[in-house]
Amino acid sequence: MTNEMQFKTIVAQYCEVKPEDIKNDMRFREDLGFSSLDFMSFLGELEDTFDVELEEEDVLKVLTIAEALEMMEKLQQEA
Amino acid sequence: MGMLIRDILENSVENFAEIKAVKWLQKKEILERSYKELMENVVAIRKGLLSEGFQGKHLALIGVSSVEWIESYLGVITGNTVAVPLDAGLPGEDLIDLINRSDSEGLFLSPKLLPLLDAVLAQCPKLRKIWLLQEQEAEIDNEKVVSLAELKKVSGNNAVDADKPSPEDVATIIFTSGTTGKSKGVMLTQNNLATNVEYVRYTAEPGTPMLSVLPIHHAFCLVMDWLKGFSLGATVCINDSLLHMVKNMGVFKPQVILMVPMMVETIYKRLSAADPAIPKQALAANVFGGNLKIIFTGGAHLDPFYIEKFAEYGVNIYEGYGMSECSPVISSNMPDDHKPGSIGRPLANAEIAFDDGEILVKGSSVMKGYYQMPQETAETLKDGWLHTGDKGYLDEDGFLFINGRVKNLIILSNGENISPEEIENKLALGALVGEVIVTGENNGLTARIYPDMDVVQAKGLGAEEVQAGLQAFLDEYNKRQPTYRQITGLIVRKHPFIRSSTKKIKRQEAMIDEPLL
Repeated sequence: MTNEMQFKTIVAQYCEVKPEDIKNDMRFREDLGFSSLDFMSFLGELEDTFDVELEEEDVLKVLTIAEALEMMEKLQQEA
Repeated sequence: MGMLIRDILENSVENFAEIKAVKWLQKKEILERSYKELMENVVAIRKGLLSEGFQGKHLALIGVSSVEWIESYLGVITGNTVAVPLDAGLPGEDLIDLINRSDSEGLFLSPKLLPLLDAVLAQCPKLRKIWLLQEQEAEIDNEKVVSLAELKKVSGNNAVDADKPSPEDVATIIFTSGTTGKSKGVMLTQNNLATNVEYVRYTAEPGTPMLSVLPIHHAFCLVMDWLKGFSLGATVCINDSLLHMVKNMGVFKPQVILMVPMMVETIYKRLSAADPAIPKQALAANVFGGNLKIIFTGGAHLDPFYIEKFAEYGVNIYEGYGMSECSPVISSNMPDDHKPGSIGRPLANAEIAFDDGEILVKGSSVMKGYYQMPQETAETLKDGWLHTGDKGYLDEDGFLFINGRVKNLIILSNGENISPEEIENKLALGALVGEVIVTGENNGLTARIYPDMDVVQAKGLGAEEVQAGLQAFLDEYNKRQPTYRQITGLIVRKHPFIRSSTKKIKRQEAMIDEPLL
C-alpha cells in the first residue's frame, strides 16, 4: 500500500467515505464531517503509523487532505 | 456553617501524603508530585500572594492543564483570593476583555502564551503582576513579570499564612457563554465548590489513576477531575494533547476518565473501524490502556447507544448533568445507581422543581450570581431557584431526563455552550455579510448568510464568487478562534431571513430557504 493509500485508509475510519473516493481537495471538517476531536485523534494515529511528531500549532492550519499529505511528506523527508 | 476546599485538601494531604497527586509527561518521561509536595507548593504560593498584598483580589489563570496551573489555582482559592480561570484558546482580545471585566490584578500565564504578553501589559491597567507558570526565572525586562518559582520564594518558610476564607466567600469566577452574546462570570463560593465535591457520591481507592482530558478552565474538569480527584486521594494524570489521548491512556492506564460526548463518539469510531477478528478485550486493552472501568460524561447529552457499545468492551459510561452555575454537577448516574438515557438522580444537596417544563435547581452548589451583572443574575436566579434553560422531567424512580432547551444556546457534543449571537456579531463585520444566523448542525456550527446585496452588485459578483468570498472570510475568522467556535458549514441564502413583526429574525425559521448555489 502506498503512503497515500495508507493515509486515506486512516481517514476513512472517521467518515463514511471509502478510501478510494477521498479526493485531495476535500476538507476534513466541511466535506468529510470530521469533528474537531476526530481530527486530533486521526493525527495521533498518523504519528503512530508514520512515526512522525506533529506540533498542535501547525496541524490546526491544515484544512484539506492535500495540505495534510503535504505536511506528512515534509515531516517524513525531515526525519 | 459550610465547607471549604482548603479543609478538603488539608484532609487529603494528611491521609495521602506520599501518594502521587499528579502525574504528567515531559517529553517521554513521566514526572509526578505527591500530595505532600503539592501542598508545599500550594502553601508557598498562598503565602507569596499574601505577602505581595493580593489579599481579597481577583487573579486570572491562562494556560492548559499543568501541575503549575493547578498548584496556583489551589494557592489562590485556599487563601483569601479569587481565581479566574480563562480559556487559553481564546483570541488575545477576548482574554484581555475578560481580564479587565473580572477586575483581575494578577495573572498566572502559561509560557506558551508569551506572545500575548505585550498586549496584556499594555491593555490591562489593573494588572500588578504576571507570574509565568514555570520553574525557571522569567528573564523578562519588566518588573511586573516574574515566574511562579519566584513567587514561591517571596515569603520564607516561616512567613505568615493567609487566614482561611469563609465558606460564603467567592472562591472562583468561571466564564460561561451568555445568551445575550456577552460571556458571564459565574461566581462560585467555597461552599458551592466544596459541597459539589462532597455530594457527588463517587468514591475510589487512594492512588486510583484518573486521566484528565478536558480543558482545565471548565467547571466539570476543574471540580470533578481535580478537586473531587484530590478529595479521594486519586492520582490525576494530565493528558498533554488531544492528539495523544489514546496513546496517553496506554501510558497512564487510567481507571476513570471524565469525557464529553464528542470524545466517546471519536473513540467509538476507532473501536468500530478495527478488524472484527481482533477480540474485543484485546482491542479495549489497546485503545483504553487496559485498566479503564468508568467514563463519566457531561456537558452535552450522550446517545445511550454508546453506553451499550462501550459496555461490550468492559467500560461503563455514566452520564451526568450540570452547568457552571451549579458548580457544576446537578445530577449524575453512578456505578451503583443508573438508568441509561437519563442524567441520573439529582445530588442530595440539589432540590429540583419545574417551571413550565424548565428545570429549576436550588441548593448549596448554586452560584452566588454573575459577576457585575445584576440584571442577568436576577433573570436566572429567582427566589434562590436557578433557571437552567433546559427542559426535563423526573421519572417515577427519581431519575432526571432532559427533553429540550428554553434558552438560545447551541450545545455541541464537545460540551461547549455556544452563544450564536456572540459569533454572529463577529461574522456580521464581513464586508460581504448582509445577515447571518449561526446554527448547530452535524455536531458543528453552520453560518447561514444572506449576502450584502449592495456590495455584491457594486462589485458585480456572481454566485460562485460570493460563495468563495464568504468561505475565504470564514477561513480567516476560523484561524483566530478556538476549534469549538469555528464555523464548519456555510450556506449562502438566496433570500433574506424571515422576520417577526418586531423586525427580529425568526431563528426557528432560519433554515427555511433555498441555497444560492
